[in-house]
Amino acid sequence: MARSLSGFLAPIVAVALICCSFAAAASIFQPISESHRSAAIETFARSYGSLEETYEALQTFDVLGVERKPDVGTAACQSVSQTLASSSSTLKDIFYALKVNGVLKCEVDTDSVEGIVSTLQTAVGSASSLLEFYHSIGGLVLVKNQALKDDLYLADAEGVFRSIKALSQSDGRWRYSSSNPESSTYAAGSALEALAGVISLSSSEIDQSLIGTTKNDILKLFERVEKYDDGAVYFDGEESDAHGNQGPITSTWSVVTGITSFAAVTSGNLNLPGEKILGLAKFFLGVGIPGDAKDFFNQVDSLACLENNRVAIPLILSLPATVNSLTRKDTLKVKVSTVLGSDAPPLKIKLVRAKDTPAIESQELKFDSANKVHVLDTLEKSVDVGNYIFVFEIVFNDPEHKKAYAVESKTEVPIFLTGAVKVGNAKIAVLDSDLGSIETQNLDFAGENLVSLGANHLQKLKLRFQLTTPLGHPFKPHQAILKLTHESKVDHVFVVGNTGKQFEIVLDFLGLVDKFYYLSGKYEIQLTVGDAVMENSFFRVIGHLDLDLPEAPEKAPRPPVQPADAYSRYGPKAEIAHIFRAPEKRPPQELSLAFLGLTVLPLLGFIIGLLRLGVNLKNFPSAAAPAAFAALFHVGIGSVLLLYVFFWLKLDLFTTLKILGFLGVFLLFVGHRTLSHLASTSSKVKSA
Amino acid sequence: MAKLAIFFALTLSFLPFLSHSFSPDTPTDRRILVLLDDFSLKSSHSIFFTSLKSRGFDLDFKLADDPKLALQRYGQYLYDGLVLFAPSVERFGGALDVAAVLDFVDSGHDLIVAADTTASDLIKSVATECGVDFDEEPSAMVIDHQNYAVSDVDGDHTLIAADELINSDVILGKTKIEAPVLFKGIAHSLNAANTLALKVLSASPSTYSAHPTAKLSSPPSLTGSAISLVSVVQARNNARIMISGSLDLFSNRYMKSSVQKAGSHSKYEKSGNEQFVIELSKWLFHERGHLKAGNLRHVKVGETNEPAMYRIKDDLEFYVDIYEWSGNSWEPYVADDVQVQFYMMSPYVLKTLSTDKKGLYHTSFKVPDVYGVFQFKVEYQKLGYTSLSLSKQIPVRPFRHNEYERFITTAFPYYGASFTTMAGFFIFSVVYLYNK
Repeated sequence: MARSLSGFLAPIVAVALICCSFAAAASIFQPISESHRSAAIETFARSYGSLEETYEALQTFDVLGVERKPDVGTAACQSVSQTLASSSSTLKDIFYALKVNGVLKCEVDTDSVEGIVSTLQTAVGSASSLLEFYHSIGGLVLVKNQALKDDLYLADAEGVFRSIKALSQSDGRWRYSSSNPESSTYAAGSALEALAGVISLSSSEIDQSLIGTTKNDILKLFERVEKYDDGAVYFDGEESDAHGNQGPITSTWSVVTGITSFAAVTSGNLNLPGEKILGLAKFFLGVGIPGDAKDFFNQVDSLACLENNRVAIPLILSLPATVNSLTRKDTLKVKVSTVLGSDAPPLKIKLVRAKDTPAIESQELKFDSANKVHVLDTLEKSVDVGNYIFVFEIVFNDPEHKKAYAVESKTEVPIFLTGAVKVGNAKIAVLDSDLGSIETQNLDFAGENLVSLGANHLQKLKLRFQLTTPLGHPFKPHQAILKLTHESKVDHVFVVGNTGKQFEIVLDFLGLVDKFYYLSGKYEIQLTVGDAVMENSFFRVIGHLDLDLPEAPEKAPRPPVQPADAYSRYGPKAEIAHIFRAPEKRPPQELSLAFLGLTVLPLLGFIIGLLRLGVNLKNFPSAAAPAAFAALFHVGIGSVLLLYVFFWLKLDLFTTLKILGFLGVFLLFVGHRTLSHLASTSSKVKSA
Repeated sequence: MAKLAIFFALTLSFLPFLSHSFSPDTPTDRRILVLLDDFSLKSSHSIFFTSLKSRGFDLDFKLADDPKLALQRYGQYLYDGLVLFAPSVERFGGALDVAAVLDFVDSGHDLIVAADTTASDLIKSVATECGVDFDEEPSAMVIDHQNYAVSDVDGDHTLIAADELINSDVILGKTKIEAPVLFKGIAHSLNAANTLALKVLSASPSTYSAHPTAKLSSPPSLTGSAISLVSVVQARNNARIMISGSLDLFSNRYMKSSVQKAGSHSKYEKSGNEQFVIELSKWLFHERGHLKAGNLRHVKVGETNEPAMYRIKDDLEFYVDIYEWSGNSWEPYVADDVQVQFYMMSPYVLKTLSTDKKGLYHTSFKVPDVYGVFQFKVEYQKLGYTSLSLSKQIPVRPFRHNEYERFITTAFPYYGASFTTMAGFFIFSVVYLYNK
């Protein structure tokens, strides 16, 4: 189901896509031009791998008339003679070698030609698949056409014809071989070409009924054609089959080469409608410049086939320019040529009418034989600016040509006639609610002067201007937009409406306060007037409006967030340096040292006092043991005090306490002995 | 047995794909799925595709409604990039849908979406999910009566010659795009709240989005500089998305065509499209602007080993390596705006790094006098580059008790007083005990 649905959707999608890509060009197709030639050189600039690629490049250059590099020729010729001389070459290689030879006209020795012809003859006899027929018969036709061998005929032409014909399907498509039920349009083209080869190689007349049924097959094939809106027709490619992916270009190319070669060898008419042939031409021209070498070759080769076919030669009506300026007094030029850009037979072009514009009457275009274009030069007097759809008709001078050429009966071409539009009577004003104008200012869109206006929510802003075409008619442009932009980038867009001749817009701020988000402040006023046919479209800042709106109520809508600037969002941030805690304020060092000096003074006073009192140490024990204990006691006290000094200088609390513990015990012991000795001596003295 | 052999052969044949897949070491994409409406696009847009192929990408062309479409198999993504050149497709074929496309992007893969006037709701919804809103109005086109490309056959001013490009070397390459870029298609706008999306090609102030032939009765929904013609999005996982309102922008026809902007006298032989599209695709498929940072390290001044902890007010040196992917190798990244933060709840120090132009970035600073658990943070975001976000945790301790200042001059009078008192006590004790 999904598959059938997608099969059904694919052409619709494709049609929709291509229609749109062509929508702008409408139904204008340009024949092959110079840009194609330069593109061909670029596309085929690479070295060619196989003979097939070489042939495609050479054939494209040949058709377009591009001069090829000489070294390509010699290399290719070498490869051709190698392929033709070798006995192990495949049919396909031989076929393309002969095709390259057809373009290059290399020197091929007759021995290898004999060998090739016999190889091909046997191949035709034993062929079972369509491609074998195609390559072998095609090879024989090429040998014959290049006059490499005289009196070349196919032995059982009618038998071969029948075995190829046996592969045809009732819907006009063909199968590649009898064992493969899949059929394709591409195969149909190859088969038709092979059949054409059989006819041209046959020594006797082929049964007319066989040719008749083949012609019917062709008509059936054309029932499968896909159509674009602009008249281009094509054969849809097969999505995938055993022979790779064939797009519409390849399939259509195959059919075009098939039917043109078939038409060339059969007598009588194919009864193909001319518009189908023209549609095929349009399809290939509509492709533009393909980027793919294969597509490029298919396009150019198909157009070359259509250029000289026996069914109907398509003629393309093209306009070098569909945009014409009335101020520059451009003339409308129309060119009719074949698809490859060669001249058409003598003919006249008539402008029949312009759609929806009765003012333009039917007239014949003048033929400028120097430039080979048909010219309509009475435009600017009678026609105003605007876009029109002109309908052209081609009339052949020689009525016989009508059968040989395929042309569109009526060609519709969209034409843009541009001109300068006069802007006048431009005024801007702020009105009170009772329509009493406070300040009206004239606007000059050409000058630089900006207006500056002020308004509150009870007032109105009124802008009016007039646009007139060069012929004095009122002009209505597509784009007439007034834009008010607040300082915070919030903007409001209004379409300036027109009443007959005048463009006028009145902004009643009372009704707009909500829409303006109650944003007071400076608004920039921009006016854009533009149209496709207006040469002096303009975009201008008219001035500023200072708007005084009431305070926003609680529930008023907030203005939308404006996008941040992309550049400011990135970039380095400002550097941050840590601010360290400031150190505490300290007095100057000298002051501290001075106070240090002062702290010594009491000690000095104490010592001087002691000396003045006349202290002595007569009480120091005289006996050895008590003297030793007394000395140790004072050394101990001195050590404790010294320990405090060390504590300050370097020791930590734990070490200090440890040492202090030992010293304390020691001091307790010696202190006790010393003090008890002193006490006993003093009690002895008292008792004595 | 035969089955086992087939399985083995299959596994072997998949190995090169697996080894080629997207990896942090080689960020450039390799395999790209191109979804088309029509195979004719392969030929009409061949310059773009050929350029991709010549840069080593493996393109897989499929119709957008191909019933066998799949982005992943057995949980592994089959592609690194997706190109949606199928504006009118209403429903993807196979297992692909909007959610699958978004999952693809969410797992770090890149996406190109091109739309035109036929853009389907499907394509628009893919864009909306990426933060880009296409004009809702069907058949509205971008029109500019001021900055259109002068053309003899195209008169409705929908062919825009746009030259307002983003100012970024990394996105659009170092060579300036001189010629205007031809654009024909639909407008989109960026969501104001979306900080990841960027306008690469913006419209001029006189632009508006409307149907070219219908009369304009209500104000157009998008006007002026709010219109973006081509935008890019770089997601937080560094997946890159390009959204273009024009499929023709990529076409050979526009790339080859000469361009002259209305009102300007300079005519360019070739439009800027080819350069624009190819340079942008280089950025998009991570051939440029992809950064890698690593080897974040720090030492105390004068030491060589990285410490486990710093003390307040230590002087430290900080290093980080940053490299940029050039498409085939990692080159040193040179910039003067890479910054490091010393961060605890908020940055305490934010310093710009200096580079030796060989990829090494360096700075030195003093640890703040606040203790706690800090982080070295390198968060680098630059327009067009992938963002870097690295951090490393480091504790900071206060001074130990013996690390404070010991001899404060101001305190000397107190010490002097104590010690003289002690000396006095010593003398007094001797005199008191032994005086007679």
